[in-house]
Amino acid sequence: MEHPEYLALAGGGVAAGIVLLVRGFLSYGSGMRVADTAPSRISSIAVGEVLVSGIVEPAEVTLVSPLQSEPCVYYRSAIGHSDGDITRTTFDEERAVGFRLRDETGDVRVFPRAARFDVPDCFDERDGSFGEGPPGLRLRYGSAYGPGTDRESQVAALLSVHPAAAEPSSGGIGGWSIARPTIGSSGRGRTYHEARIGPGEIVTIVGRAMPFDQLDDPTSADVGGAGDSLVDDPEIAADMAEARAAGLLADDAEDAWGNAAIPGFGIGRPVREPELDPAAHEPPLATPDDAARNERTFGIRPDALVLAASDEVPLIISIGTPMAVAGRSQRAFLIGLLGAILAIGSAMALALLLGGQLG
Amino acid sequence: MTPPTMAALFAVAVVIVVIGFLAFATYNAVVALRYRIDKAWANIDVALKQRHDQLPNLVEAVRGVMSFEQDVLTDVARARAAYSSAAPIPEQAAVSDATSTAVRSLFAVVERYPEVRSAANVLSLQAEIERLESMIADRRELYNDQVYRYNARIGQVPAVLLAAMLGWKARPFFEASDAERVRPETGLRPET
Repeated sequence: MEHPEYLALAGGGVAAGIVLLVRGFLSYGSGMRVADTAPSRISSIAVGEVLVSGIVEPAEVTLVSPLQSEPCVYYRSAIGHSDGDITRTTFDEERAVGFRLRDETGDVRVFPRAARFDVPDCFDERDGSFGEGPPGLRLRYGSAYGPGTDRESQVAALLSVHPAAAEPSSGGIGGWSIARPTIGSSGRGRTYHEARIGPGEIVTIVGRAMPFDQLDDPTSADVGGAGDSLVDDPEIAADMAEARAAGLLADDAEDAWGNAAIPGFGIGRPVREPELDPAAHEPPLATPDDAARNERTFGIRPDALVLAASDEVPLIISIGTPMAVAGRSQRAFLIGLLGAILAIGSAMALALLLGGQLG
Repeated sequence: MTPPTMAALFAVAVVIVVIGFLAFATYNAVVALRYRIDKAWANIDVALKQRHDQLPNLVEAVRGVMSFEQDVLTDVARARAAYSSAAPIPEQAAVSDATSTAVRSLFAVVERYPEVRSAANVLSLQAEIERLESMIADRRELYNDQVYRYNARIGQVPAVLLAAMLGWKARPFFEASDAERVRPETGLRPET
């Protein structure tokens, strides 16, 4: 064989075509579900499978996206590191919190646990030739949760002093440092991908409407957030090992909790009676307005219908109107069919190459 | 087996997989559509039954004061008596329309009787029936939309090929047929 690279190219074409075809099949299935389900008005939804479309409103909390620090109710962010021909993912996180979906007739709470999200990337960039970060990259510092949704919290957030926006050469996420590629490392750098659903965006949801008291576990309704995927990151693990070697981190949790030995700070229960400051003021009682707002934010009637995933009906949350969602899946299916043609063509070429009739 | 033969077999396999997937996905989608229509209809039926159950309370609440409005009350009672959950869908649609019209007429007449209009039980019944009327309208729209999607699906390629083989037929919309529109009393049987 004179041209092994042709063989590799043809083999790659077969593999890529099959991957595109499988992706097209998957997208076709979810797209048909959206296209074949008539949208319900939120005020008149009944128990069972429904399709609703409306505008996202935050419920109790919002998230802050890791790469662009935008408020959202869902994000999927990834950072890839290209080193020559090898690309590895150094950061990959997906998280969602419950939110409200509103249309012209009312609103409904959505519990996104176990949901499938169909949200294309809204930030898809890579480092520049000299290692500088792409425009729009504004790495998150601090908590993954945004300020509360009530007016006072929003005002307090506006009046708070926040750390300066991330410098591209010293970025960090959630307090973890991310090493940057060195200047002049041509062909090496990071790729950044972020998809998110923010307040005010239109989404289409297919899922099961059920009374709130029939949710399996309303307290664990969010996606992500429970584990710490950063610890699995080898680069961060290396940083932690370095910090541990320098004596900045305890070797284990028992050592780290050493301060618990201080009287008054025992873990689990206090070791002595608390001394109450007689000059301290009791917090004022909530006003009726505050109570009503808190009731609206946190109180859900047991019989109120909510949207959640169930064993029979998966929850699919897609950004855009139903027509846009169906159009997106149709395009993906057409690309899948083109992938099939690519796979067949590549297989033919591969056969001719192996038979010595090409190259 | 020579490489060209293997490539040809691969091509045939890919085509078969694509066609098989389309047939499988289309069959499943149409079956799901049929179930969605049944569910949408069941939801309408629930609301119709609820309205059916509330109407006697409303009539009873206003009968004493509105003894001079027997025609309106009779219309409501007659429309209610015509309801049958086993009737064909177009007939039920005609009965539902007639009931809505009779109820609207009753509410219009109630406006002329301040003592009735302000009674707490009449107010709550009126609010409940208006809620049910709104729910029926919304669910009717949803049902018709679902039927439209089903009928359109089985009329298009590739489902039309399966429809011919499997005997899938178009479903009726929840609307009064032309004949019932011409003769509005057709679907209504006098109260016995």
